Amino acid sequence: MSATVVRAEGLVLGYGGQVAVQASTFTIPARAVTAVIGPNGSGKSTLLHAVAGLVEPTAGTLQVLGSPPPVARPRIAYVLQSVSVPVGTPITVREAVGMARYPGLGLLGRRNGEDRRRVADAMARLEVSGLQARHLTELSGGQRQRVYVAQGIAQNHELLLMDEPLTGLDLVSARTIDRIIHAERDGGCSVVLTTHDLEEAFAADHVLLMSGRVVASGPPRQVLTRENLETAYGLGALHEHDHAAAERARFIDDPAEAHPLDGPGPR
Amino acid sequence: MEWLLEPFALGFQQRALLGGAIAGLMCSVVGTWLVLRGMSFFGDAFVHGIIPGVAAAVVLDASPVLGAAAAALVMVAGIAVVHRQTSLREDTGIGLLFVGMLALGVVIISTSDTYAGSLTSILFGDALGVTVSDLVVQAVLAAVVVVLCLLLYRPLLALAFDRTKAEALGMRPGRTHALLLALIAAAVIGSYQSVGTLLVFGLLVGPPATAALLARTVPMMMAISVVVSLLSVAIGLVLSYHLGTAGSATMALVPVVLFFLTLGLTRLLARRRRATAANGMSLGVGTAEPTASVSGGPT
Repeated sequence: MSATVVRAEGLVLGYGGQVAVQASTFTIPARAVTAVIGPNGSGKSTLLHAVAGLVEPTAGTLQVLGSPPPVARPRIAYVLQSVSVPVGTPITVREAVGMARYPGLGLLGRRNGEDRRRVADAMARLEVSGLQARHLTELSGGQRQRVYVAQGIAQNHELLLMDEPLTGLDLVSARTIDRIIHAERDGGCSVVLTTHDLEEAFAADHVLLMSGRVVASGPPRQVLTRENLETAYGLGALHEHDHAAAERARFIDDPAEAHPLDGPGPR
Repeated sequence: MEWLLEPFALGFQQRALLGGAIAGLMCSVVGTWLVLRGMSFFGDAFVHGIIPGVAAAVVLDASPVLGAAAAALVMVAGIAVVHRQTSLREDTGIGLLFVGMLALGVVIISTSDTYAGSLTSILFGDALGVTVSDLVVQAVLAAVVVVLCLLLYRPLLALAFDRTKAEALGMRPGRTHALLLALIAAAVIGSYQSVGTLLVFGLLVGPPATAALLARTVPMMMAISVVVSLLSVAIGLVLSYHLGTAGSATMALVPVVLFFLTLGLTRLLARRRRATAANGMSLGVGTAEPTASVSGGPT
């Protein structure tokens, strides 16, 4: 994992004068699953938006796939956290997934065999082929999320960004999407996802821990230490009733292995 | 049949039919995106927003089309200023411009000697007074609107799906939204002569809303909307001829009535389907495990 897919130096991100991510320096390895974890409002989604080229850095530099994000955009697929389709919009599953091919088709280009194959393959992998004539509004939340992931992987991409892809899903949808995430990585794609779930973060190859900036970056066992998590979430935020999280934190071999970035976290 | 064809024996009635049909076609195609994007309030405000431009053109004896276009630009710029320079939501800006432009239009036209007649003509149109040159201008605008809507189908669908997703796909949602506003302006300017500024909204929203109750895809929604528009114009003109009512208003009223008729019919059919399905379930039809009640029942 020597190659990097994202390289940030002194990156500052914000909206309308408000700073969402303070100066952060980090890299994200290529051909790996990277989990971005942190509390609500820690800047996870803003960071993903910036990597996708949807938010311009306020300061610092950000390189994605060796280029500025807007240049790299045709090689990036982005599965958004919540795509709210207005009730009554007549968009079928097939049409929604087919939208992934728009960047290559332009305004009037005709779909060729490759376009149709990619769409059919994505729907089959996400197990939504049987729903292709259904409206998005006629699907359950889990089915709809699978459609959005199918839309992501049907797009030409080397980097797959996913904003909380597994949050609030039923077991079948969560397992299907989790399998796809790892299959994408195994197929040579880089995957960056945001999550609130420590289990998901531990299952990743690389982790960015955020709290208004990137607090720590590295392999899960080095980053997700009790000390770092307390820095990111604040004291007592390790969910004392959450056995899994507490057990995970206890099993960290040596907290000294952790590599916090840029000094202590905010407050 | 004679009752249906009799109104169109006269030339001005034929022109009214043609003008209404072109207006219906333009409004259907653009109105589909207006309805899908939840911009109906904007559309309503917009059709009132062109009134001062038309009024000024009437007073100054200038081109009403140019006046309407200028007023449309002021309307869009005003909404953008309120939205960007304040923390107020966009609908507040739309509301302010809606009232402001309507009032300004009435103030301008009130300086005219033929105040009442001019205002009525602007607000409610003059379907039976459409000339051949009006039809030519309308047809050109309609061709531009329809061709651009077809060209922009993918960016507009991506925008209707989700603005951020459209941006991530490189579909330039900001530019697409601006073009949609221009298309709405063109459709309104091209239609107000036939049905009036106040009533063009009926063709802009009524047929697409009716089509949304029936269509499974956006192209199907546009096609149904065009059919509903053409029906509305024809039925409106026939009714106004026989009942002696205002042509433009009758044309604008029909799609609204058709919407509620379609709504009632679709709800009735859906209820019947549910009842049939429930009966089927209780009889064990289509279930893997027949219930006890089916024993000895019909097979």
